Amino acid sequence: MNNKEERLPEPVWNVAELLERVDNDQDLMRELLTIFKEDFPQSFQSLKTAVTSGDLKGASRLSHTLKGMLSSLGATRAAAAASQLEALSTAGETVTLREALSALESEAERLLPELDAYMPEVRR
Amino acid sequence: MKILIADDEALSRRLLEKTLDRAGYEVVAVEDGKQALEQLCKPNGPRLALLDWIMPEMDGPAVCRAVRARSEQPYVYMVLLTSKGSKEETVLGLESGADDYLTKPFNAEELRARLRVGERILLLEDRLVEARENMRFRATHDQLTSLLNRGAVMDLLVRELHRSHREQKSTAILLGDVDHFKRVNDTLGHLIGDEVLVEIANRLLKSVRSYDFVGRYGGEEFLVVLSNCNPAYAPGRAEEIRKSISNLPLQTAKGPLALTMSFGVLLSSEWGQRPVEELLHEVDIALYEAKAAGRDCLRMAQATAKLEMSPAMVPQAVRRRR
Repeated sequence: MNNKEERLPEPVWNVAELLERVDNDQDLMRELLTIFKEDFPQSFQSLKTAVTSGDLKGASRLSHTLKGMLSSLGATRAAAAASQLEALSTAGETVTLREALSALESEAERLLPELDAYMPEVRR
Repeated sequence: MKILIADDEALSRRLLEKTLDRAGYEVVAVEDGKQALEQLCKPNGPRLALLDWIMPEMDGPAVCRAVRARSEQPYVYMVLLTSKGSKEETVLGLESGADDYLTKPFNAEELRARLRVGERILLLEDRLVEARENMRFRATHDQLTSLLNRGAVMDLLVRELHRSHREQKSTAILLGDVDHFKRVNDTLGHLIGDEVLVEIANRLLKSVRSYDFVGRYGGEEFLVVLSNCNPAYAPGRAEEIRKSISNLPLQTAKGPLALTMSFGVLLSSEWGQRPVEELLHEVDIALYEAKAAGRDCLRMAQATAKLEMSPAMVPQAVRRRR
């Protein structure tokens, strides 16, 4: 686990990058966070089901979607984890797939509190 | 300018939508490839498109291929959005018909710059199409009156004659000549003469239906083709067309000018299937008869009682008639 963190040195959430992308639009920022909080758990749940049931095609597609979502948000580390998951499921590496899934899950667990911490700022 | 975004992932789509909205684009956002293709095929649909590579229903390259398969449609500038970075993928994307590709997550500055490239290409295409249309118009229309020119009206006449023969209908051919036009030019000058021709062209056009056509046949000669014209009504309609000139003086820069026209009229159903040159020759003879009868009138080309005049004599006779 420690090893992986060293290979993913970026911040959990690159707020600065996202703020630049939205041109400091706080309304848009809130909108994007709302979309994320709605869509991410759903997609992640589907991904989990795909991985546990050995549905490689579904896993590849869903991890691709999550990668796009996370990288647009500036969640660099989680996006990298999703990317790894996509590569593994495309290559059919079933053995390491579950490990990669839990890596993404733990990245998500770090990310969500950061987003929640930002939401009150947005509401102001 | 309209732009299409196709991305199945809501967050990226919304971000892109807002970015482009800020850049002044009119954004149409859809969430799969099928909807993207639908939008791009609409008349006046977006001509700039950002297509995600991986989408449900139809992926980005498939949309590109389908758009490029259409012919005779305005060019659509398509950019593929991809998180894939490999050379093979890039080549595959461009070969499918995409103009460019962008790697996600995109940089707003770069995105805008690349879209400006697309706009330049589209502007270039518009100019080419416009130039082609202008050339096409000039090749088929008379410069002064904007009526069909002789070549174009003859082509249409041939087609119309074939059709009326096939459908057992009749086409009416009217060949009209402005009476004493030379006097206008000689006494009032060529500029007024030109004004007269333009005004006559407009009146002739207004006096026919949208599916008839009018062409400038020669200097002051006009050919009017009434497609699918009931022979019983043809003389009456020809009279109306003739009177559209003589009823009201023409407005010129040197005051109103009362002019008349003479017409030869031929109904194709009375002549069987004949070469167009022959029919035009016959209608020319009828026009000559109208001139000989004192002008400001029309004469029907008679298929049964033909004038005993050798064809060789006719051109001279016609040349003298003004």
